[in-house]
Order: sequence, then structure tokens, then C-alpha cells
Amino acid sequence: MRLAAAELVDSREILPGQWLQAYHAPDIANGSRAGQFVHVRTGDYSGMVLRRPFSINTADAATGIITIHFRVIGHGTEWFARLRHGDPIDLLGPLGRSFEVDARSRHLLLIAGGLGMAGVRMLADEAIRDGRQVTLLFGAQSAREVYPSNLLPDEVEYVVATDDGSLGHHGYVTDLVPEYEGWADQAFACGPMPMLRSLARLAEGRRGRLGVASLGRKRGAGRADPLGSPAARRKAFMQVSMEQNMGCAVGACLGCVVQSVTGTPQRVCREGPVFASDELTWDGAWG
Amino acid sequence: MKAKRRVVTSSGRPAGAKRMPTARSVRSVIIPEAPRQRVESASASIATRTAVADAPAADIDLRVDLGRGLVLPNPILVASGTFGYGIEYGDVIDVDRLGAICCKGTTLKPRIGNPTPRVTETPGGMLNSIGLQNPGVDAVIEKYAATWATWKVPVLVNVAGESVGDYVEVTRRLEGVPGIAGIELNISCPNVGRGGLQFAIDADAAGEVTAAVRRVTDLPLLVKLSPNVADIRPIARAIADAGADALTAINTLSGIAVAPARDRPLLGNIYGGLSGPAVKPVALRIVYEAAQAVRIPIVAIGGVTELADVLDFLAVGAVAVQVGTAIFADPTLPVRLVGELSEECRRRGLASYRDLIGSALPKRPATPSAKGVEYRP
Repeated sequence: MRLAAAELVDSREILPGQWLQAYHAPDIANGSRAGQFVHVRTGDYSGMVLRRPFSINTADAATGIITIHFRVIGHGTEWFARLRHGDPIDLLGPLGRSFEVDARSRHLLLIAGGLGMAGVRMLADEAIRDGRQVTLLFGAQSAREVYPSNLLPDEVEYVVATDDGSLGHHGYVTDLVPEYEGWADQAFACGPMPMLRSLARLAEGRRGRLGVASLGRKRGAGRADPLGSPAARRKAFMQVSMEQNMGCAVGACLGCVVQSVTGTPQRVCREGPVFASDELTWDGAWG
Repeated sequence: MKAKRRVVTSSGRPAGAKRMPTARSVRSVIIPEAPRQRVESASASIATRTAVADAPAADIDLRVDLGRGLVLPNPILVASGTFGYGIEYGDVIDVDRLGAICCKGTTLKPRIGNPTPRVTETPGGMLNSIGLQNPGVDAVIEKYAATWATWKVPVLVNVAGESVGDYVEVTRRLEGVPGIAGIELNISCPNVGRGGLQFAIDADAAGEVTAAVRRVTDLPLLVKLSPNVADIRPIARAIADAGADALTAINTLSGIAVAPARDRPLLGNIYGGLSGPAVKPVALRIVYEAAQAVRIPIVAIGGVTELADVLDFLAVGAVAVQVGTAIFADPTLPVRLVGELSEECRRRGLASYRDLIGSALPKRPATPSAKGVEYRP
């Protein structure tokens, strides 16, 4: 984690109200991993007292460029959308823990709902670099909110679902998952809470459906790894990137917690944002 | 009362007067009740320095005495709940350059805190309702005290509870633990024994809990005032009379926000505490009133985001300030303020920042009210 000055080098409205911005931030681009995020300060110091957390959408160590992808939803994101080429910003990052891909995993299933694309986008780059096969399931309300396929690596198999059926599968993206759960060695998801909740339930029943529940000595069958540890995530079939209103983003304020199965709240900014889906509780008032 | 207060805070000299930090003048600044041992060593180290008119900023005396031997290296503290246990921001700032760290609120038993969302931004501020999530006093001591003991910066443990007994027991367990420099009581908690009435809004309850804690500890004791009261003065007096060494003012203001769909309040706990620049005028008013009501030092907190805010709080009688919400946007701010305060003193030709204290207080104490409770806007 470090404080870094960055400069806007490109800003595009890729979808109505959705922006993709590229920043020159070599310190962050170097050594950040898929799933991590940056906490960015706005220029309005007295009006907006909090930084804004953004997933690192892509990071290129060679050029020192990171991208972020966001929808304009309030004063902060409006401020970012108005930035012009050459404008400086102040980044804190890279923050949080990354996705963990098991070395033996060949087939990765990425599942994104809407802006959740920003949470898993970088993992596609990493997986392809490492020679893995990637299928990306993407869900949106309608065709006009579907992430442009030309912004994805060619190697990715891109499957779209829309709520209104205007493009691809007519229905939720989660409907597509059972079709791929046998193919996939691991799955990685980011999106709205109801989507993550139903994915967590799907992941829970997967071993039974595939008939591998009693084989033992396989991944996940051994001794339990400590909650929040890289090993716990690496062994999990489903990893989810969580979102929560955030204050400090370094673990000091305890604003951004999610509830774990042990009953101890976990900080999205520190123990997360990536968790194994079976590390978290998905019912109750904490959603 | 006024004259005595100025002896404590600014050596009885008019604000702005130049003063060489000799052993004699420094001694007079120290609160008389402070244990001799610490006083001797502190003044001796200062006496060996020679200050000149254009002394570099490093020679400005920024030390602040909060009583009972607690001498902070400078008057810029970090506020409870915004700085975790001091280790979280270790990558980006040097904690040993802070005046003190107030750690996250600590209770007797572990607490999982409130449902989410717990924080949200508001115009010029933020609301939080963390709900005192913490691992409990024993775990805090076990996990962090050894680290704190290796730091130069004093760590004050912020203590919260639901009953007088809770506060007393937590304090007992902190007593004598190396690495713990003092206690800051968060009394803005519901007193379960009295139907959930907050200790901080009632002078008797605030005095009672302060006195109970005072009886079981020799640690320096700060008590944090709530702004959610009609008149702070009787409460501040009750706390001072009960033996607190210093006051912290203010805790957050109670508020709510509405969810974007307008179908419910936004925060999981409905109510949150407002902090940030938005509360600064309220904090200034309460420090201003409390400074005229009590003789113990006041540590101000509420919306400090730049040096001007620090100077404002000193002017209304605070001896030190805590930086809270602003840390989230700029973690380097507290350390930078230490340098800027020093530089400001040098620019004005002051040997000590203490000459800045109380310059905006009335020259003559306000007429004490007959009842001591009515509110004067």
C-alpha cells in the first residue's frame, strides 16, 4: 500500500453513464493483482471527505497504466467523469487481497453483473497470460448496458445474459452457471448482492451435483484453512469480490464489514474484497 | 478562575509574547499535580537547548502536558475510530511523529458491531455507526500493547461500556500494562442501568462514571464530551470535579441519512454519528464553552482538515487537537500538521505553541449563570 500521484491519460464513456478511465500510476500498476482496488481522493476536499474505492480494472506494469470503470451515481463519480487528460489525482493502493487461482486450475469461470465487470476484468488478463481458458458470463439489464466485447481479450469466451432478453440469454446471468460448473475448475464473481448470494448457494451444492462430494483428499476436503487466508480462497470453487460502503480502506474504521461464518465481521478492505463464498454468511440483516 | 487557567496553558503571559524556553518557564507550564519524575526529565531536556529568535522549526516547543505525567511530544493526536490500533496506516505514515494515538473504542467483551451499511458521506462530513466493533479489552492488550510499548508515541486506549462496572473493569485491566499511556473514556454510550440514557448527556451520570474510573486507576484520564446536549458546562464541570485529567471535545453529532430508494434510513443502525468539517462550528462552540467552565486541559476534535482549524481550536482554549475523519482522505495530514504548527510558531516568533492558546476567549470570564444549566446561544 502506498500513496501515489497519478495522471489521467484517457477517459471514455463506454456505456451510457459508465466511464473507463486510464491513469498513469506506475507505482500502482506494478505489483497489483486482480481483485485489488485503489482508494481515490476527489479534488473537493471540504465537500467530499471520503475517498472513492475503485477496483483495479486492468493494470499494465510495462506502461504503468491502470484503468478504472465506474458508473456516475453521485457527486464523487461526477467529479471523476469531468476530469480531463493530464489532470492529477491522488491514489492510495493497491489495497485488499486478490483472487487466488489454484495452480492446477485450467478452466476459469468469471461471472460479472453490471459494474461487477470491473471486479473480475483484470483476472481475465492474468489467467490468459498464465495460459488458462476463461469463460466470462456477464449479466446486465438490457443490451444497451452490455460491456463491449472489444474491450475484452480475444481469448475470452464471452457469454451475455440480459434481464429483458434484448441480447443473449433472456434472464439472469446466474441461470447460465450450471451449464459451466462442470467445465470450470474455479469460479470468480463480482456483482450485486442477490447475484452473489445465489452464486454462493450454487457453489454450495455443486460438489453434490457433480458427484465429487465424497472423494476426499481433493481440493477443499482437507483441514480447514484460516478464514481470509490465501489458501482458503485458493481451495474454494467460488470466490466473490464484495462491495460495501467504505471509509478508510485500510482496516482502521471498520466501516466496510461483511459477516463471516465464524461470526467475526470481516473487513472488505483488508480481509477482502475477495472472499471464498463459503467463508461468508449470506442470510440475515448483514446483507 | 481565568487567571489560573492561563498559568496552566500559556505561562500566564499574554498571547503573542516572545519567551525563551528556560527551565524555569517550562516548569511553570507544567500542571503542579504532575508527578515530579516525568517533569524533571522533560524540563531538563529542554533546558539544554538554546532557542534563538530565528530558531529552526524543530526547536519550537510543541510539548503538551495533559496531567498526571502525560506529556505529549506535540498537540496533534489521531482520533479514536479513525486510526484503528495505530498499525493500519503504518505503510504510509510514521506514527512516532504524532502527538498521541487514541485507539479504537474498547469494551470489556468482544463486540461484532452494527449491521451494514455503517458509513456514508454527507455534505462536508460523514455518518458512521460502527457499533463499537472490537475484540474486547483482553484481546486488545494481547494483540497490540507489546507493539505500542516499542513506540515513542503515547497510545491512549479509548474505553466504552454499558455500565459503570464495565468502564471500571476495562480500566482495571489496562492499569499497569506497558504500552498504554492513558485512557480516553467514551461516555456517549447508553447506560443500561439507567434505561439506556447516555452517560454523556447527564452531569450526574458523567461524573459518576468518571469518579468510578478515577478510583481504580492512576493512568492519565481523558473524558470525551458528547455534543448532543443542551449545555455542556455542567457536564464538563461534573467530569472535571470527578477527577478527569483532561477533556476531549467533541464526539460525533447524532444524525441519519436516507437510502437512495427512499424506502428506509440508509445506515443499518438507522442512527449514525456525524463527523468532518460539517461539525467544526459545533465543536468550536463546545470547546469555547467548556474552556471557560473548567480548568483542566481540553483536547479539541471536530473537522480538523488544515492548520487553520488547529489554530481556531487553540484560540478557543484547546491545548491540543485530534484529527479524525480527515485522515481517511489524507493519511499524511496529522504528521504534516505537526510541521505546519511548528512553522507557524516560528513565523510568528513564538518559542512555544502554547502562546496560541485561548486568544479568542473572552478577556473576562462570562458571568456564571445562577443555575448553571441554561443555554446561551
